[in-house]
Amino acid sequence: MDTHVEPLQKFFRSKRRMPSFSELMKLWGYKTKSAVNYRVNALIEAGVIAKDSLGKLIPVQLEQGTRVLGLVEAGFPSAAEEELLDVMNFDEYLTPNKESTYILKVKGDSMKDAGICEGDMVIVERRSTVKPGQIVVAMIDGEFTMKYLRKRGALFYLEPANDRYKPMFPKNSFRVDAVVTAVVRKY
Amino acid sequence: MTWGHSASFPRAILHVDGDCFFASVEIATNPHLRGKPVITGKERGIVSACTYDLKARGVKRGMKLHEARAIAPDAIVVPSDYETYSIFSERMYEIVRRYTSAVEEYSIDECFADLTGYRRVNKMSYEQMAQAIKRELQTELGLTFSLGLSATKVLAKIGSKWQKPDGLTVIRLADAPHFLKKKLVDDVWGIGHNTAAYLNSFDIQSAHDFAVKSEEWVRGNTAKPYLELWHELNGRVVLELATKKREGYQSISKTKTFTPPSRDSSFVFSQLSKNIENACIKARRWELAAPEIFFFLKTQDFKYHGFEIKLPHPTNVPHDVLREVTRFFSQVFKKGVAYRATGITLLKLQKAGDVQLDLFGKVQESEGLRLVFNSVDALSERYGKHVVFLGSSFSAMKFGAHLGERGDTPERTRELFKGESFRRRLSIPMLGEV
Repeated sequence: MDTHVEPLQKFFRSKRRMPSFSELMKLWGYKTKSAVNYRVNALIEAGVIAKDSLGKLIPVQLEQGTRVLGLVEAGFPSAAEEELLDVMNFDEYLTPNKESTYILKVKGDSMKDAGICEGDMVIVERRSTVKPGQIVVAMIDGEFTMKYLRKRGALFYLEPANDRYKPMFPKNSFRVDAVVTAVVRKY
Repeated sequence: MTWGHSASFPRAILHVDGDCFFASVEIATNPHLRGKPVITGKERGIVSACTYDLKARGVKRGMKLHEARAIAPDAIVVPSDYETYSIFSERMYEIVRRYTSAVEEYSIDECFADLTGYRRVNKMSYEQMAQAIKRELQTELGLTFSLGLSATKVLAKIGSKWQKPDGLTVIRLADAPHFLKKKLVDDVWGIGHNTAAYLNSFDIQSAHDFAVKSEEWVRGNTAKPYLELWHELNGRVVLELATKKREGYQSISKTKTFTPPSRDSSFVFSQLSKNIENACIKARRWELAAPEIFFFLKTQDFKYHGFEIKLPHPTNVPHDVLREVTRFFSQVFKKGVAYRATGITLLKLQKAGDVQLDLFGKVQESEGLRLVFNSVDALSERYGKHVVFLGSSFSAMKFGAHLGERGDTPERTRELFKGESFRRRLSIPMLGEV
């Protein structure tokens, strides 16, 4: 069993994703996908991996499967990669969906009560669905702006986070371009 | 239905093509350009890409900008932002890779994907995969793509061109004749005007006319590449996808045009020196070394004057190249002649590292320089390209390549965030101010 888990771990560590069936064929040196399937089922049975709703593989106890820390005489083993497997870097934290992520520079103070100030960088994602309550970047009657998306009845409109500005109701055109997912400010 | 074989798609090859990619990326990253006629290529003085409405009005790729402006005075001309185009290109490949690992990165705005066998994994038909890829590309990148799905690369390419922009054309093998009958041979990928004229002389007008010829006829009357095309048109894969990432180069070229043209030998030399530095940076990045080089100067009347030089030993250190170029530069540079471009090509590249020592210690001397340039590369990694450069490149570095309008740089290089520099920016496209 370990001879199959190990290549899988290596793959997962270096690529940060699980391999496809055809990649598993290469990884394990199998000639057919059904052989891969057989082994995958065994690993699922053993609780090492699982399949998600789309049938793609996800790790469950991939690392625990062959946790080898060596013999410890006293104290803890050195903080090797073992402990650092469940961490992420800022890239993953701020831009989990890299392909749909964009940045913008903030001008003006219309969102200051939401903690977004002039000069800040906002990180946004282009998505197919947006929900009221989210801060969005939108084109409204020819003006490109960032506001809270609100809904009253069937009517969508934009609301600033600053008492000095009025909500914006679309007259001719309204299109939401992206949803704000983070604000970054360096000092 | 069995999952294994499919009569419509013995293989399922997808071709993805960005619609007027450069111009579309400009619009996707600048909402104020939406719905307007846009041309990219300001810094080159020619049209690199333009929106479809301009194409319809007669603006063509490669046209001089003033010609384009005469046709469309309302067109908005922007400088090319290759950095952002490359980021969009990478994202395109990554989105396609969600559905298959077999992706050929054919060019900055095109890729092929082999979906064969992925129906069960993705729990979708081939057509559904193509639709999903198109939807995700357009939602996440904010521009349109044209896709073709068929049994071979050549047929898939016919599909992606069938309806453009914003199309998805599926050519099942049984329907292929219907498409090929409406397609002229010279519109087929890989068939040029000369070949088309040659085929026309055999009364082959449409791609279908060619596809129904017998194999003996094709073998007897055309060269090997056309036999491959013939197989592909008939739904048999001959051209497999090149899914390996690029592993190196045979040669590396760096050329830069500058305006206005110059008669100043030291200025022209510094332009050449900058190109040499850039070529060497690229060679070092790929761990390659050149045993031979070619350098040229281009005069204002578009004539090239150059020299091919064999180096004492293969190198990727600019000093070694410059030493040789200096010896021949005066033979090429003519007083009183105005030059508009310089260029360098590193030829017959080989792996750096396995170099032979020479008799006169030149290699060892170069070895010391190699250490210096390791540090230069490390500095560039940290602070951005050209943070240190050769004195001989100084006047080329001090001024941009172009004075006047062509000197405009992309907005992204001017709109910076705290912590970014002109040389190094976040690898995330910017949508402007909001």
